[in-house]
Amino acid sequence: MRNPPPYMVLMMSTAPEAAQAPVATNAATAAARAVAAVKEYGRGATSVRAVDGITLELARGRFTAIMGPSGSGKSTLLHCMAGLDRLTEGSTYIGDVELGSLSDKELTLLRRAKVGFIFQTFNLVPTLDALDNIVLPLTIAGRKPDQAALDEVVRITGLGDRLSHRPAELSGGQQQRVAAARALVSRPEIIFADEPTGNLDSRASAELLDFLGHAVTDLGQTIAMVTHDPLAASHADRVVFLADGRVVEEMASPTADGILDVMRHLGG
Amino acid sequence: MVKVGLRSLLTHKLRLLLTTLAIVVGVASVTGTFILTDTINSTFNRIFQDANAGVAVTVQGHQLRGSGDDIGGPAHAPVPRSLLGTVRGVTGVKDAVGILQRNGATFIGSDGKPLGGNGPPTFGTNWVADAELSPFHLREGAAPSSSDDVVIDALTASKHHVVVGQHILIAFLGGAEEQFLVRGIASFGGSDSLGGATFAIFTEATAERVLDGQNMYTRINVSAVSGTADTDLRDRIAATLPSYAEAQTGQQAAAAAEQSTEATISTFIGTPLLVFAFIFLFVGSFLIVNTFNILIAQRTRELALLRVLGATRRQVLASVLLEASLTGLFASGVGVLAGILVASGLTALIGSPAGTTLALQPRSFIIGIVVGTVVTVGATMIPARRATRVPPVAALREALPETQGLPRRRIASGAVVLVLGWIAIGVALSGATGVTLQLLGGGVLAVFIGVALLAPLLVRPLALVLGWPVRRARGAAGLLAGENARRNPRRTALTSAALMIGLALVTSVAVLTASFRASADAAISGALRGDYIVFARGPAFSPQVADALRSDQRLADVSELRVSDILIGSSSQSLVAIDPASENRTLTFETVSGDVGSISQLNTAILDKGEAASSKVHVGDTVTITFPTGPDLRVRVGGIYNTNALASGYIVSLATLAPHVSMQRDFTVLANAAPGVTVADGESALKSDLSHFPLVMAMSRSEYRDFVGTQIDSLLNLVTGLLLLAIIIAVLGIINTLALSVLERTREIGLLRALGMTRGQTRSMVRWESVIIALLGAVLGLVVGVTLGVALVNALYSLGIDHLAIPFGNMLQYAVIAALFGVAAAVFPSIRASRLDVLQAISTE
Ligand SMILES: Nc1ncnc2c1ncn2[C@@H]1O[C@H](COP(=O)(O)OP(=O)(O)OP(=O)(O)O)[C@@H](O)[C@H]1O
Ligand SMILES: [Mg+2]
Repeated sequence: MRNPPPYMVLMMSTAPEAAQAPVATNAATAAARAVAAVKEYGRGATSVRAVDGITLELARGRFTAIMGPSGSGKSTLLHCMAGLDRLTEGSTYIGDVELGSLSDKELTLLRRAKVGFIFQTFNLVPTLDALDNIVLPLTIAGRKPDQAALDEVVRITGLGDRLSHRPAELSGGQQQRVAAARALVSRPEIIFADEPTGNLDSRASAELLDFLGHAVTDLGQTIAMVTHDPLAASHADRVVFLADGRVVEEMASPTADGILDVMRHLGG
Repeated sequence: MVKVGLRSLLTHKLRLLLTTLAIVVGVASVTGTFILTDTINSTFNRIFQDANAGVAVTVQGHQLRGSGDDIGGPAHAPVPRSLLGTVRGVTGVKDAVGILQRNGATFIGSDGKPLGGNGPPTFGTNWVADAELSPFHLREGAAPSSSDDVVIDALTASKHHVVVGQHILIAFLGGAEEQFLVRGIASFGGSDSLGGATFAIFTEATAERVLDGQNMYTRINVSAVSGTADTDLRDRIAATLPSYAEAQTGQQAAAAAEQSTEATISTFIGTPLLVFAFIFLFVGSFLIVNTFNILIAQRTRELALLRVLGATRRQVLASVLLEASLTGLFASGVGVLAGILVASGLTALIGSPAGTTLALQPRSFIIGIVVGTVVTVGATMIPARRATRVPPVAALREALPETQGLPRRRIASGAVVLVLGWIAIGVALSGATGVTLQLLGGGVLAVFIGVALLAPLLVRPLALVLGWPVRRARGAAGLLAGENARRNPRRTALTSAALMIGLALVTSVAVLTASFRASADAAISGALRGDYIVFARGPAFSPQVADALRSDQRLADVSELRVSDILIGSSSQSLVAIDPASENRTLTFETVSGDVGSISQLNTAILDKGEAASSKVHVGDTVTITFPTGPDLRVRVGGIYNTNALASGYIVSLATLAPHVSMQRDFTVLANAAPGVTVADGESALKSDLSHFPLVMAMSRSEYRDFVGTQIDSLLNLVTGLLLLAIIIAVLGIINTLALSVLERTREIGLLRALGMTRGQTRSMVRWESVIIALLGAVLGLVVGVTLGVALVNALYSLGIDHLAIPFGNMLQYAVIAALFGVAAAVFPSIRASRLDVLQAISTE
């Protein structure tokens, strides 16, 4: 395994101060952060450190891709940063809020207000039509959707004529676009996507990624996306590579070829 | 394949428990009923055997015409005392004693209230010195020897703490109350009492006087000298008897008593309880169909995989049926054990003599197990057949499409079953056939099945309507609750249909009783003119009551309604006799045809409209009336009157009746306040006049109306109480469906939680789905129940239920209770849903 690049060492060392002073410069620009995050499954001899001391900052208004071999801890990191799971050690933040100190209820309300999700499969409630699925987070929160924002989101998804269809009547690509629209419509602080294109063909993937890219560039949305696909990752502003629960490589303004290089390099 | 069925059974313990409970309740009721009736019968049989142990021959009058089965045997006419001498003279007779036993000698407690008598009879009889020939055995004290001595039964003594040497008041229907000295305490046939009846045992002379003996014995018991066979003695005695008397051996008498008692118990206890047990099983079978339906839907992929791997349809069927039979067997096993508890509880409740051991016959258990298992396996056949139709390719598909709409065949068969059900009900209620009750039951059953088959059609629209307020009030949770209730119409329909059954039955009984009450109200207002009404619970009473009121200056127009059992052709009825002068003063009859006033002529009768129509009797016809003992009476029908709250059937004048009965008995006395006396003053006068007749009740007209209403309502309460169990079974069904649905929707709930749905909102979502299911059941139940109730009311028009009343208040109450049951049913599944681990839920494959 490689040593972390020098600037990361720097960040790790400043992290405790950042935690004590949430309005530090770093925090102001980061939509979400993990600081010395450790997630351990099981105890004793059979324990697995799925996340093994990760410090990572997801800058506001940026599209970050997270890559790494299977079992490297990508999903685990994402779940912990999104407030779906709790760390064993360390801390994670959404904006200025430290998640470890929140109760289940507070976490739920935080997710509702500040986090959007796109999963690989089973993203939609089968009994609701596409439009109801898109506005579901708002309905859950008891809020009315902002019609202009909704129209905007619907327009860029290109789902106009499919809004009254139920998930079973939509293609896989359409379903994922509905999920993306849903993640976007409440204008969350950050959207977490775990292999959103995993089940799509290259064309549907491209459509979804274009959509996410527009959300970042046009609307200033922050997105973190786990993916195995270098082409998908090349839509991001930055790629973070994990291996064995650690950050092992970083790449800004990635290209598919550049990513493939790193992967080949790491994959050994 | 056996392994697959077994594993599926054991991995879902909760489901097993709930499904099992539904069957347990039904089986426990079946087995409990059998054990209970066996126990009661065997207790009585022992008593009759013991009471008749020393009796070789019994001599009685003939069985009273029209007297039916009763506890202790059918009623026989009495024989004159002079017959005792005749019997004693027969060779082979060792001893013969005369026994006078009549209903209507009631112990009065120190508070002036009757002890017992509210149900079982209160017998008075004479003490028989020859222990061999007496059913009584002294436990304490001595036999009665002076005219104010009494020996009382051991049950009364222990229940009301009566001891030897104390004084006790006894009220007689033949007269007022008198005080006696308790000389002894006796058992009847070795038992504390005869099924809860009380016994007051006097010297023969006192019994003759207080029981209105009129020189009669109820029967003569005979013992035989040793070496004489009972049957020989019987034949020899029979040869000497006049034509009005007959002889039986003691064994025959005991057997007749046993048979008659068993028939009575079966009519009043066994059959009604079995009907309820059947309802429980029927509702339970809905639960089973639904549970296995859901299971098979959830196991579609597994079953398809088995098919891919080469399992035949038969093997799939066998694995499902194996699971069903094991569930059924297990549940029935628990059920029969619970049945023992039910029986012992009920035995204690009806106050069976202490120390009764339950009669545990193998039959009770075999029937319970067979019924429970057959119902379970039978109910599983439908889902099991569906399991066999799962195609192997289903294993490869992403998910089966949700079933939209209903197949035409199902709609058609539902409609046909529904229509056939209503036809059966219609035919049964028209009263044209002898199998009315069975036909009615079958019709109601068919209606329930038909509605259940068609209910999925109603689920979507009804859930939309019922869900609307929930959606408004509960936002996302409400929206999703409504959608969830609608997503699988068959499942929702079957779950609510189980609830519908209990509610429909309760509602129809409520409609019936409300109409009954309204009709009684109207009839009382119409027929009763008097300010006061006096009547007794139990047998009719002596004219002394009316005499006591007549001597009071503050009362006027005292008029009695007298009664006698009669036969007309072969139908046993009651004949009412009134004073024609009371017409329009204390009561009134509405003329339908002829002249109601003609009753004042001797040997003229009037008849109510319903009876006239059903027996096709017209004004001017002559009818022959047969009395239990006296000579026949031929009456001309002078008029037809409208059905009435106070009297029904044939009515004659007191003068017409008098020559045909040996004992004058009133069942009602009416009176007015005298002119110048307020109704309230008159009432207190009336009550003080009757203070020595504790068995009769005196009421003002409005009190009487309330009293009748309360009586009717208590019937409703009893039936509702029993049907509550059927409703609870249906609630178990809701719990089961919800729990299985929550399990099925794990991923979806996980997703919702990830998107920010709180635990509270998750619980609310499940809760409101439950409420919608329950309300759906309530709506179906109320509609079916009202329709059924209206049909019943129409059919009972001739019985005087001529006002239709729909108890909207009760119905609203039922709907609210159903909704609350929905909330209760959701408690467990909703907690389970809200506790789902979000991460695990979204990563479950
Ligand atoms: N609930 C759990 N209990 C025990 N170990 C777990 C659990 N969840 C994940 N792990 C382990 O943690 C490690 C990281 O898992 P994670 O799901 O984060 O990997 P991933 O990078 O998302 O892989 P993939 O690309 O295959 O999705 C793996 O070794 C996995 O076995
Ligand atoms: Mg993963």
